[in-house]
Amino acid sequence: MNKMKNIVGATLLALPLSLVFAEGKIVTVVLSEEPDVIDPCEASRSNIGRVVKQNIAETLIEIDPTDGSITPRLATEWEQVDELTWNFTLREGVMFHDGAEFNAETAVTAINRALNPTQDCEIRLKFFGNINVMPKAIDATTLEIKTDTPQPILPTLMGTMVIASPNTQAEKGTMNPVGTGPYQFVKWDAGQEIVLERFDGYWGDQPEAEGARFIWRTESAVRSAMVKTGEADIAPNIALQDATDENTDFSYFNSETSRLRIDMTQAPLDDLRIRKAMNYAIDRDALIGSLFSEDVVPMTQIVVPSINGHNTDLTPWPYDPAKAKELIAAAKADGVPVDNEIVVLGRIGMYPNATEVAEAMAAMLAEVGLNVKLSMIEVAEWIDIFTKPYAEDRGPVLQASQHDNNNGDAVFSVFFKYACEGPQSTMCDEEVDKGITAASAAVGDERREIWQQVFKRLHEEIVPDVQMFHMVGFSRVNPRINFTPSISTNSEVQIGQVTFK
Amino acid sequence: MRQFLARRIFHSLISLVGLLVLVFFLARLTGNPGDLYLPLDSSIETRQAFTEKHGYDDPAYIQFGRYVRDLLSGDMGESVRKKRPALEIVLEAIPVTLMLAASAMFLALVGAVIVGARAAYRPGGVFDRVASISSLVSASAPDFWIAITAIIVFSVHLQWLPTSGLGGPIYWIMPVCVLLIRPFGLLVQVVRSSMLTVLSAAYIKTARAKGVKEKSIVFVHALRNAMIPVITVAGDQAAAMANGAVIVETIFGWPGIGKLMIDSIVQRDFAVVQAAILVTAFVILSINIVVDLTYAVLDPRIRKRS
Repeated sequence: MNKMKNIVGATLLALPLSLVFAEGKIVTVVLSEEPDVIDPCEASRSNIGRVVKQNIAETLIEIDPTDGSITPRLATEWEQVDELTWNFTLREGVMFHDGAEFNAETAVTAINRALNPTQDCEIRLKFFGNINVMPKAIDATTLEIKTDTPQPILPTLMGTMVIASPNTQAEKGTMNPVGTGPYQFVKWDAGQEIVLERFDGYWGDQPEAEGARFIWRTESAVRSAMVKTGEADIAPNIALQDATDENTDFSYFNSETSRLRIDMTQAPLDDLRIRKAMNYAIDRDALIGSLFSEDVVPMTQIVVPSINGHNTDLTPWPYDPAKAKELIAAAKADGVPVDNEIVVLGRIGMYPNATEVAEAMAAMLAEVGLNVKLSMIEVAEWIDIFTKPYAEDRGPVLQASQHDNNNGDAVFSVFFKYACEGPQSTMCDEEVDKGITAASAAVGDERREIWQQVFKRLHEEIVPDVQMFHMVGFSRVNPRINFTPSISTNSEVQIGQVTFK
Repeated sequence: MRQFLARRIFHSLISLVGLLVLVFFLARLTGNPGDLYLPLDSSIETRQAFTEKHGYDDPAYIQFGRYVRDLLSGDMGESVRKKRPALEIVLEAIPVTLMLAASAMFLALVGAVIVGARAAYRPGGVFDRVASISSLVSASAPDFWIAITAIIVFSVHLQWLPTSGLGGPIYWIMPVCVLLIRPFGLLVQVVRSSMLTVLSAAYIKTARAKGVKEKSIVFVHALRNAMIPVITVAGDQAAAMANGAVIVETIFGWPGIGKLMIDSIVQRDFAVVQAAILVTAFVILSINIVVDLTYAVLDPRIRKRS
């Protein structure tokens, strides 16, 4: 009997030793979901990007998340030859993990693969859907890219294009991503983990971490607990209520901006006074620190400050219910049907407390005398209503939405949301459209200034949104490493930047 | 017996075909997968191209014909999201769920029989009262809350167990315990009440009068007859678990069929939904057949009737 007790005791003691702790110079990242695929051409999906982008496979150009500027990566220089042509000078001495050489030829193969219409690669669908791109190798280190329409910010656009090995199968997705990055793919145990190891032939400085492990847990509480117990090093995306430890938890703009999109074609929302009144009716200070994190910032435009074109001169709408009532009364006196029922359409689970936020917004709008009804719907129905073609009998709707742009330039937002032809726009303003066309064709300071003018007009004269907040994200980082999450943590986790204490 | 089995299998096949048709058409009613798969900013042309490429623009009956044709040649289609054969994805997930469910069910059943029988032996006694109250609590405990609390207590504070993940025996402790709590509580209640009825039956009194040992009365004479309702409930619970222990799989990061099914329904990944339902339906129908056979083994009357 005693012998039995000893065996049981020894087993119990030994069990904890078999736990997998994040140790050695291997960085363990715990994602919110398992990536569906790990193909480089899908790297714009956030959980795929966190594994692949700049770890396994790199881009020609890197976008600096802090100010949207662009820096060299696989390309060292670039210049615009004519309106439709750009030349990129490629870095020499770069090898893919499978031994293939990186040069203009292999870059052409990689770009053509990502843009191949037989595959549903998200990079093509999201960024190159309406552009015809014709890459060509001029010589070993010169890559020419021609487009069918002028692309003054093609280098920024190329910041999204991840370069895979020329040996990657062209017509089908790959489960074995090969690139030029500081880490090479080792294995993917479906459902369990993805393992990377440091690539000794990397062209840049050798990073400190010897490898990386990507695992996934759906529950934010579990992800944050894993960093706490030492089972993981980085949890890139945890909920507000789990970000409780100021020593390990970081908050940062996550590039999302939340708003209620006003359907400007429907009465009474087609009246500027009503749209202004709705913005005066929202007590944003009351929402900050209660339903939203203390770190969110009231928005004045749909892009965050780090995006090229953001206008810092604009001021958020103040809370002024008296003014709101005054504007509504004036509109009513002019015959505007202010008593029409306005639907506040929220999306379940869009962000933490989404339902409570929609309830609060609806209550504030009702407070100033509008006839508001709240409706919460699922994502599929929400998308259907949010994108064109719109239903004819839709009535006045304020649709809660959240927009993400961390791609460096306002062009990725403004056309879609506010142009007459924009797939999610409910407005049509000649001057805004002119601005979008002019900004899209301009570069440098001129481009920034035109965008800023567009945002000023939208904010002060059109008012197409009930403005809410630039949102924040939270990440937990194990104190044994140095890593500062930022706006780019939404789309990548560069293991090469991690150092150990 | 053989005829009984053949009939049960035939009935199961009819259910399976019915389910297949229902799932196929119900899934199509949820809408176009492209709406969820494609980026929000995609143009109308991109959306049309995607729909045509995957054949979602064909009438549902034509899509169904294609599905049946492929199914008969063993092809369950490819996941739009994962870009892999749906059956391969499902077959990776199902063993995880089955192992988890089998361990939890086995422990729950054995524990419930011991505790329930002991409680029924002296109704109203201390053991019975403690067992009744605690089984009631565990039968109604929300597993989501238990799982998170267990992680906070045993992983974060005590650091005895890993928070989650699939690995050696130590990784099984929390998920299995959380999963068995509910069926254990339920089964204790069923065993107890069933045993109470049987123990007051005339043949038990006869056995006692004959001087049969108490242990033998409880575990041989009474238990076998008390097992029919227990097997019914246990079969039901096992089928529910084979359908996916969604909450436990989600929280502990176990890549099982429950989570796969929910994810693919939400994402409208039709091929995976269909394959997952077909495979789990097969497992559940098999469990039902095993339950029916167990009845027949336990009760000769059922055997004869069939």
